[in-house]
Amino acid sequence: MKCITIGTVQSNQKVADQIFFATIEVPEIARQCLPGQFVNIYFPGSVKLFPRPFSIAGVSGKSILILYKVIGSQTTLMSRWQTGRQVKLLGPLGNSFTISEDKSVEYVLLAGGVGAAPLMFFRDELAKKKIKPHFFIGAKTKSELPIIEDVKSDLIVTTDDGSKGLKGTVIEHFEDFIKNIRRPVSLNVCGPDSMMSALKNISFPDNVTINVSLEKTMACGLGLCQGCVVKTTSGKYNGHYALVCKDGPVFNLNDVEFDE
Amino acid sequence: MNDLSIDLGKGLKLANPVLTASGTFGYGDEVSEVVDVNRFGGIVTKSLSLEPRIGNPPPRIVETPSGMINSIGLANIGLEAFLREKAPYLSQLSCKVIINIAARTEEEFCDVIKALDNEKWISAYEINVSCPNVKEGGIAFGTDPDVLRCLTRKLRDKTDRYLIVKLSPNVTNIAQMAEIVQECNADAVSMINTLYGAAIDIHTRKPKINTVIGGLSGPAIKPAALAHIIKAREVIDIPIIGIGGISNGEDVIEFMLAGASAVQLGTVNFYNPCAIYEILNFIEQYMTQYNLMSLQKIIGQALV
Repeated sequence: MKCITIGTVQSNQKVADQIFFATIEVPEIARQCLPGQFVNIYFPGSVKLFPRPFSIAGVSGKSILILYKVIGSQTTLMSRWQTGRQVKLLGPLGNSFTISEDKSVEYVLLAGGVGAAPLMFFRDELAKKKIKPHFFIGAKTKSELPIIEDVKSDLIVTTDDGSKGLKGTVIEHFEDFIKNIRRPVSLNVCGPDSMMSALKNISFPDNVTINVSLEKTMACGLGLCQGCVVKTTSGKYNGHYALVCKDGPVFNLNDVEFDE
Repeated sequence: MNDLSIDLGKGLKLANPVLTASGTFGYGDEVSEVVDVNRFGGIVTKSLSLEPRIGNPPPRIVETPSGMINSIGLANIGLEAFLREKAPYLSQLSCKVIINIAARTEEEFCDVIKALDNEKWISAYEINVSCPNVKEGGIAFGTDPDVLRCLTRKLRDKTDRYLIVKLSPNVTNIAQMAEIVQECNADAVSMINTLYGAAIDIHTRKPKINTVIGGLSGPAIKPAALAHIIKAREVIDIPIIGIGGISNGEDVIEFMLAGASAVQLGTVNFYNPCAIYEILNFIEQYMTQYNLMSLQKIIGQALV
């Protein structure tokens, strides 16, 4: 059940260029959240009103983990959070990634930069079921990579400039990889819109299910404002607009369109 | 115990003056996990049209200084689904339920009212003649005095139920529009709907809203709303339901002093869904501080 509550910052560390990793103690959310879900963080002040949505990057005891990139004034404020800071949150919000009943399914996680956040949580859930996914993570350059090693997955790191891992985009290397996979694949993706669009141009075999976690400007996170819509195809949503906050943020790639 | 109740006339009594604004609170059920909907004096549901509307393409919202611009385009599930899916929840609420209606034509307004008039749990209709974000109908009904007169008369003939007309600030003389609504025997006006607003991305040079111009709301428009209410109060006697950037208890009192008998919370529902609790606490304290037996006594008492 969604709740509005106060959390306490346990730690807040820089892990890469402009990328931070925060631990917030908030038992009401930590005990029930699922990978793919997000929280809204409220900020004091009367000039910028909207809360900001953040994917939950994992759970540690009574705390949730937030992996974030500093891109505006609110994330700049976050980067200065000290241990003990009280934070107002709403969550858990949205739907989640799912683990198939079919034991033969191979899991692939595909992240662009800080888009690794919800996939790190999903990787943890898979690990609980003794499933080790292939985890592709790409960034422009080494300093923008939120993680570079991982024991719970087969991690494949890519950088556009080759400063760490494989040289090239994460999509290019993923395409090479997927060609050789024969088992059914659950592909779970989070990254910039350009990465999602690129996926649309790849022709996948039928046994690949693709779930993408989307991000949109949101005012409420609850489905009240109807602002965070994504265009859908004729499938599940019948060509109507779906709400990223409530119907998503995780969608089947075939159900959504990106050409806006 | 302080008496927060408000009598809006014609049998419509609210437990307190705080309502939700249409389109900012869904149908109440979406938010019922985080806030006790019955703490409101009443809720005004998302604009309802005869047929479902998918709404406008994205981007639909943008944050602006102390406010936001929206262009949702009256996305809603339509009358049939509303009665099937939402009425069971709404009809069991103890707070008042006011249905906001939007339409492209006079006939469509009449058809929706006809279908809702048998639903005993509905306390009032709020007629949306002021949506700035749809091509047909919408704001056209609220900006032409003759069209507004014709529509209000027609709807008054159709129903005995409490009738509120929601006014647009995007007119030269809002007092004139309020006067027309009163002349046509509607029971109250609610004001203001959103102001025209625009925002442009300086890097891509694209508008930040799909329709280029959308509706501006939030604390940024509060002084404009108060000014319009003061102007309307000078010329009408029917109740004014104040809307525009209200975010706390102080704002509610300010609107009531300006002449509002009740208020609606809009944009604040997005950034503080539990504002109602703080607001009711503040009103109680204010009444105690100024020894007010009834909140009704402060309506229009600003020394203007």
